Amino acid sequence: MAAAALREQLNTLLSSMFASGMVDEQFQQLQMLQDDGGTPGFVAEVVTLFCDDADRIISELAALLEQPAVDFDKVDAYVHQLKGSSASVGAQKVKFTCLQFRQLCQDKNRDGCIMALAVVRNEFYDLRNKFQTMLQLEQQIQAQQ
Amino acid sequence: MRSDGRNGGVGRTRNQFPVGMRVLAVDDDPVCLKVLETLLRRCQYHVTTTNQAVVALTMLRENRDLFDLVISDVHMPDMDGFKLLELVGLEMDLPVIMLSVNGETKTVMKGITHGACDYLLKPVRLEELRNIWQHVVRRKFSNRERANIDGLEECHRPSNADFDNVHSQITCGSPDQSGRPSKKRKEYHSEEEDEGDDSNGQENEDPSAPKKPRVVWSTELHRKFVAAVNQLGIDKAVPKRILELMNVEKLTRENVASHLQARHLPHFVQFIPALAILRTDMFSTKYRLYLKRLSHQASIVAALGGSDPFMHMGTFEGLQGYQAFTSSSGLSSFSPQGLLNRNNPTSFVLQGMAASRPIQIATGNSTISHSIGDANKYHLSLPGNSRQQGSVAQGLTASVGQVQLSQKWIHEETDDLSSILSVNGLANGMPGTLQNVTNSPLLQQDLVECRQAKVVIQPSSPTSSDRLEGTVGVSSSLMDSHASQQSRLPLSAFSTSALPIDGSFGNKSIAELGVKPSGGTNICASSDLRVARDNKVGASSFGSGILVSPETAPNQKYLSFGGGSNLRQNMDGGNPDRLLDSKLVWSSLPISQPPSLIGSHHLMSQRPNNGSLGARLIGQVTPSDSTAAPQTKVDMFIPGEMLTPKNASDLSFPKVQTEFSSSSCSFDGLLNSIIKVEKDDASFSDGLGCDFYSLGACI
Repeated sequence: MAAAALREQLNTLLSSMFASGMVDEQFQQLQMLQDDGGTPGFVAEVVTLFCDDADRIISELAALLEQPAVDFDKVDAYVHQLKGSSASVGAQKVKFTCLQFRQLCQDKNRDGCIMALAVVRNEFYDLRNKFQTMLQLEQQIQAQQ
Repeated sequence: MRSDGRNGGVGRTRNQFPVGMRVLAVDDDPVCLKVLETLLRRCQYHVTTTNQAVVALTMLRENRDLFDLVISDVHMPDMDGFKLLELVGLEMDLPVIMLSVNGETKTVMKGITHGACDYLLKPVRLEELRNIWQHVVRRKFSNRERANIDGLEECHRPSNADFDNVHSQITCGSPDQSGRPSKKRKEYHSEEEDEGDDSNGQENEDPSAPKKPRVVWSTELHRKFVAAVNQLGIDKAVPKRILELMNVEKLTRENVASHLQARHLPHFVQFIPALAILRTDMFSTKYRLYLKRLSHQASIVAALGGSDPFMHMGTFEGLQGYQAFTSSSGLSSFSPQGLLNRNNPTSFVLQGMAASRPIQIATGNSTISHSIGDANKYHLSLPGNSRQQGSVAQGLTASVGQVQLSQKWIHEETDDLSSILSVNGLANGMPGTLQNVTNSPLLQQDLVECRQAKVVIQPSSPTSSDRLEGTVGVSSSLMDSHASQQSRLPLSAFSTSALPIDGSFGNKSIAELGVKPSGGTNICASSDLRVARDNKVGASSFGSGILVSPETAPNQKYLSFGGGSNLRQNMDGGNPDRLLDSKLVWSSLPISQPPSLIGSHHLMSQRPNNGSLGARLIGQVTPSDSTAAPQTKVDMFIPGEMLTPKNASDLSFPKVQTEFSSSSCSFDGLLNSIIKVEKDDASFSDGLGCDFYSLGACI
């Protein structure tokens, strides 16, 4: 029973993430890949990879933007990478903010980039919290089984 | 999604093929790579991943045969994805799919022009990945298909192989199996079309092909083929015997016959030496006499009515007793489409050579075949208009004794002929001059009036140190014609040159034509192709001539047209050396452009060493004419291998044709086409056409 409740809770979480636009179809596809393809732990693995990678990139970006002479090409490269990984995991909001970030970067707008970074970071943190909750629920469900 | 996945899996399983397809996934982003890997596995592919482009390249180099397809991210820190794409294309001839979050047109275009067979946007979806196996199949089959398909499609894969170990690939953007004419096709295909893959067990891919399974002419297989042909000698190289010598299981006479056709040019090239000899001997005597006779009549330009005309030619020759002239047959092949008809078909007869190959030009439309023959009279031009579609093809082939072959070829060619140049190849010479080329215009059926013109093309422009013997005068002519083309002057010029039969084509002729000498070049014969090596020879002088020299590399085999862009580069660069190593991809070319065009032939030279690629274009034909040097054409010739008719056709003809179509030239369609091209910037066709034309013109 507890497992059912947990599963219900997980589903609710996932639904809200999707409904809020935090994640998109890509994320659903990943879940389907996991469920249908017999690759348990796949979503958890990808999500973990994403969180670690995004966290690293955001740190790199923060460091770059603090430089007196910002290397916008590097910044752009990082943002591009973050955009790629967020797209792959279905982190829609993060991906969108990356789009704006890149534009500011191309304009070499340092202040804009700093603001964009803050937005990206916030979106990422929100998402990471959800993901962590999701992973915990999954672990609990598994533990119960 | 699920359903798709399932279905896909099931479908694949049924055919077996896609299942287990070996895919190398390269992405520096661990998230993307993980997702991609999982998706690919879901498609039941055998997946290998790496997060470094350099590692991927190393893996590919070490285990070239262990992968069927490469999927690479565009942005990677250690190596730009485009660079990887380019290297893979050049070295491995594997289909490469680019992957990026960035879907800007410019970026996608860059991927395509660099040879990507597809460009996917992240996040990649299962549906897309389930279909990527088609690129593998397409590439492998492209050759076959091309051949099959209307003959228009042709690839030069073999050529790639031939080229060398290098694997240079020339890809033609051969048409897809479906035979769709669409540009896209070409684009995609360009990479895929590299035929290099063929070598890797194309058989597996057959499933995709609706057609009966074809033999994949891998490099190895092709080498056996060439060895058998060489052993037999030109005269005796009939499919049956070749098959016996090759001693390959499951290979049928039909396969060999088909390949033989395809390889016309190559063969010629290979044969060239032999041809040269023949030429001198046989041809020089009887043939010349014959030619002379013809020449008188030559003026006649009859429009050949139908494809048959070629046949006539053939017969004609036969009557003459010059079977040696396979060329005639070759011619016929050229015109199969009836191209000739309109125009006058000219046939070149290289003297010793048989070379005549057709070039096909047109896609099917009208092709013009020029005959070469005497230049003077040739007024192919008329037809030209009609030709609009223009294509010209010409082939010169010299073949002595190879009649049989030629006929076969001809058959093949029906669709398109690409031009083939056969040159005699004397090995020696590099860029030599074309020795005599005789042209014989084809008259309509009965008439055979040919002049002989032997054109010797000397690459004056080119340094000339070498002479091309052989053959190929055509190309030069073409060039000239191109140059002049618009004006048509070239023709005259050619003719002039032609007249002097034995004379050499030289720049002079060209000059006469009005074309600038520079333009004049030619390409000549296969041997001459070597010139290419030298490079420039032609190029410099003409800008246009391409030569392929078969001799040098018998190996080299085919040049493919495809990569227009590369060609350009070469052209631009002027460096012969550069050659187009890269693969040319038709498709890309077509796609992008018009500009490149040259495309068709690219490669030729891939390896300087080998020699030669034939293709060099000369860039600009006539200064005046072509403004754009780049456009100029490249000629493609494949040195050794030549263009197979198929190839030729594949190459670009179809598209080219279009370009050509605009033809304005009086010359045959070729000119027209060329001209058009130039105008249009489509170098490819033009180039090809040009060459051919020129040949014809020369003749």
